[in-house]
Amino acid sequence: MKKNMNLRAVSAIGALALGTISATATTAEVDTERTIGLVVVSFYTSVYETKYMEECPRGLAIGNDEIWWKSLEPGIRDELTNGGDIEPVTGTRRAMSAKRGPNGEDVCAIPTIVQDPPHKTVQGSISYGMDLDGLSEGAATPKTCSHKNFTSPDGQAGIDNQMYRLLGCTFGWRDSGYVETNANGELIDTSQGVILIEVSDVDDKHNDGDVTVRMYRANDVFPKGAQGNVLPYASYRVHDIPGYGNAAKGRIVDGVLSTDPIEAFLPYYGNLTHSEIHLRDMRMELDLEASEDRAKGIIAGYRDVENFWSYFRKGGYMAVTGQFSCPSMYVAAHELADGYPDPETGECTALSSSYTIETIPAFIIRPEQDDLKTSEVIAMPDTMQLATRGE
Amino acid sequence: MIYLKNILRTVLLSAMAFTVSACGEDEPLTEGTEPKLRRLTEQQYRNSISDVFGGNIIVAGRFDPLERIDGLLALGASSATITPAALERYEAMARSIALQVVDEENRKVLVSCAPAASNTRDDACANTFISSVGKFLFRRPLTGSEQTLYTNLSGAGAEGLGDFYQGLGYGLTGLMVSPKFLYINETAAPAPDGLHQLDGYSKASRLSFLLWNTTPDAVLLDAAAAGELDTKDGLEKQFNRMMTSSRVEHGVASFFEDMLEFERFDILEKDPVIYPAFILNVTEDAKEQTLRTLTQVLIEDKSDYRDIFTTRKTFISGDLGPIYRVPIENPEGWVPYEFPEASPWAGIQTHLSFQALFSHPGKSSPTLRGQAVRESLLCQKIPEPPGDVDFADFNDDANQINKTARQRLDVHNKEASCAGCHKLMDPIGLAMETFDGAGQLRTTENGVKIDTSGELDGITYENAVGLGQALRQNASAPACFTNRLYAYGTGHSPTRSERQWMGYLEGKFAAAGYRVPELLMEMVLSDAFYRVVPPSLDTNTADAGIISAKETKL
Repeated sequence: MKKNMNLRAVSAIGALALGTISATATTAEVDTERTIGLVVVSFYTSVYETKYMEECPRGLAIGNDEIWWKSLEPGIRDELTNGGDIEPVTGTRRAMSAKRGPNGEDVCAIPTIVQDPPHKTVQGSISYGMDLDGLSEGAATPKTCSHKNFTSPDGQAGIDNQMYRLLGCTFGWRDSGYVETNANGELIDTSQGVILIEVSDVDDKHNDGDVTVRMYRANDVFPKGAQGNVLPYASYRVHDIPGYGNAAKGRIVDGVLSTDPIEAFLPYYGNLTHSEIHLRDMRMELDLEASEDRAKGIIAGYRDVENFWSYFRKGGYMAVTGQFSCPSMYVAAHELADGYPDPETGECTALSSSYTIETIPAFIIRPEQDDLKTSEVIAMPDTMQLATRGE
Repeated sequence: MIYLKNILRTVLLSAMAFTVSACGEDEPLTEGTEPKLRRLTEQQYRNSISDVFGGNIIVAGRFDPLERIDGLLALGASSATITPAALERYEAMARSIALQVVDEENRKVLVSCAPAASNTRDDACANTFISSVGKFLFRRPLTGSEQTLYTNLSGAGAEGLGDFYQGLGYGLTGLMVSPKFLYINETAAPAPDGLHQLDGYSKASRLSFLLWNTTPDAVLLDAAAAGELDTKDGLEKQFNRMMTSSRVEHGVASFFEDMLEFERFDILEKDPVIYPAFILNVTEDAKEQTLRTLTQVLIEDKSDYRDIFTTRKTFISGDLGPIYRVPIENPEGWVPYEFPEASPWAGIQTHLSFQALFSHPGKSSPTLRGQAVRESLLCQKIPEPPGDVDFADFNDDANQINKTARQRLDVHNKEASCAGCHKLMDPIGLAMETFDGAGQLRTTENGVKIDTSGELDGITYENAVGLGQALRQNASAPACFTNRLYAYGTGHSPTRSERQWMGYLEGKFAAAGYRVPELLMEMVLSDAFYRVVPPSLDTNTADAGIISAKETKL
């Protein structure tokens, strides 16, 4: 009487991405006792700020917009502002400000086409993040380039976070800055690029020396409450796009989860731009008991510079809203890169990075589930239109 | 004179009872009630329009609420009137529906003939259309005068508007504002045993609205026309056919919507600050969860009716998942789900629908929940509270001494005028206190562990699951269901003369292992279900007057 639709439409995740995954769970079998499911509801580049911007003694980065404006002849400025009577804030102007290559090229798409003033970077000594290279000093190693280490706010030396050095004095990434605030708003509004974290093989949710951690891309939207808040304990199917789900070994100590490094790809969507975060030596430190229904912590690793830049290449308008120069930042990103030197040039290709995340509890539904009780979707019977046409 | 008639009827009934008994049939004879004039409920109206014209026809409008009588809106429908304002709304809806039916796209499917000319009347084509849809709207073939009336109305409209289809829309509007559509108008006919029963078309309507909650289909009307519904075999054939249709789930769901007071969902509100997860989708899905569970358990699985108080089987949607805190394989749809053995959910009384419906906007209510169990599930009427009742103690949520509802109710119930009724309700409702006002699980209230122990009619329990076991063992539960189902189907509460019949029906239900399809069959194959006495008022004449007035206006 009821029409059933088989859930098999959700195909299996690529074997490569899943690595050694073989055990899968049905809905009824999602082992809530031995599995911790989390969904990321807040994802910010870790930026340590002081009240008086002591970390940015040279001030904030100069905006693409400012450079462009200064380059204009007075007559053009008059034209764009109706003789100075209106703010030049039209869409045309935004597009124009990025297209200031010699032949109108977009300087975010081709950041080397013009030479802008040097990017303003963090000069402070304190940063969030992790010690990725295991060295208290930032000397070069076969896997890293020479760099300056930070000390964490709680005093841990050897913090590697060149991404913070790059972005920490750029308005868009600072507290209340548009770029990250907007991206997080879009994350919640659109449910795109949602990261799932699955901690399995958990015997003790407070202390367990051997757990397995995987991160996925969600295929379902955030359910929201009456006040727009994302509801905890919702179910999310894992997206079948290959590339996610590498397993990391981890442990829980006094409610804090930490993992061994792995290479990971994380989905990302922000500022109308689909992207992907590629982190090598990625590890996580997450306080699972930070507050009721909310875990907090950081994800750190080496982010490939070109992978990082693809975000700007696609979302050029951020150069206006984020107040930075694409050419300046691109040059600085390469200069500050401290991980994974190119075998031929010796130049590092990745930036040590840290992202501050918050999660809420979730049920993670992986495909390949095979329980008749739960693998079928029941559709309501079709509308009854029988009388005049015969049943 | 009426007194003498009743005496004669009683004598006749006694004689007939003897005769029936002598024939070996054991169904107690009933006296019957007058045929009913039952206003279509909103869902019956919508289902009828959808079935006659298709699901793409939009029914836009507001329906007057029905009064709940003896626990059912269906009984309120038997005494519901149509106010002038409501009639105007019906007319607006009818016009809107008619315009959709005859629009350029739909007419190709819904109007089986084509007029000779589209800019004027074509009585032959109009007659065909009126005849074909009229019998589904009136649930019987139109009489000759009715046929002429609506055909002429269509023709006059076509001439006036210079458009055949617009005229047809006028005729159709007339059909849909007629009380013969808006009311299920039952007719008495002589029965072979010398008493009276419903005529075939009225039987068809009772069957169809009970089992499908919609107008009879063509097969059922044909069976009525052929007199097949006057025989057990004919009834059984139709019953079996109808029970295999997916529509029966709508019928059963509609009954339970009524029995469980689900119309209250339309006005249910929760404080979004206190219960942020209780959003509109949750409200809708909560209702559907319980209805899906009931139809699955009772119709699909053909389980014991009493299992509805203990079953862990249910359905969960993506929006309900966060409330129940359970994983859902497909958050976009509904999935069958079985709560684990140790979980606090078993039985519909633990469902979100029940918990949220019988709570306050910002807090739970053991009293409302207990009252609902008593009245809706056990058919036990709780007296209205006295007018001067003081709720101050119970509502004092900030009380640092009496932190739980149980403690506050204990204080409240020190009032002798309150204690009597609260003893009936509170022990039931307190068993469900681990569900907050939005039906979400909790273990403490204001930091104090919640005590859910209690007792129902001599059976003690520790929690809401135990309460379900107690309900399952309570003889009033299946008796209540039988009573409500019969009342829902016939449009009247069982009368004094039907007491023996109801006892008989309950016995049959028990003997059938409390299987609902068997109960339905026993009911719809019985004589009692269709037994009537001739009406004391000539309702046909009265209706004709209403029709004339309305149709003159058109």
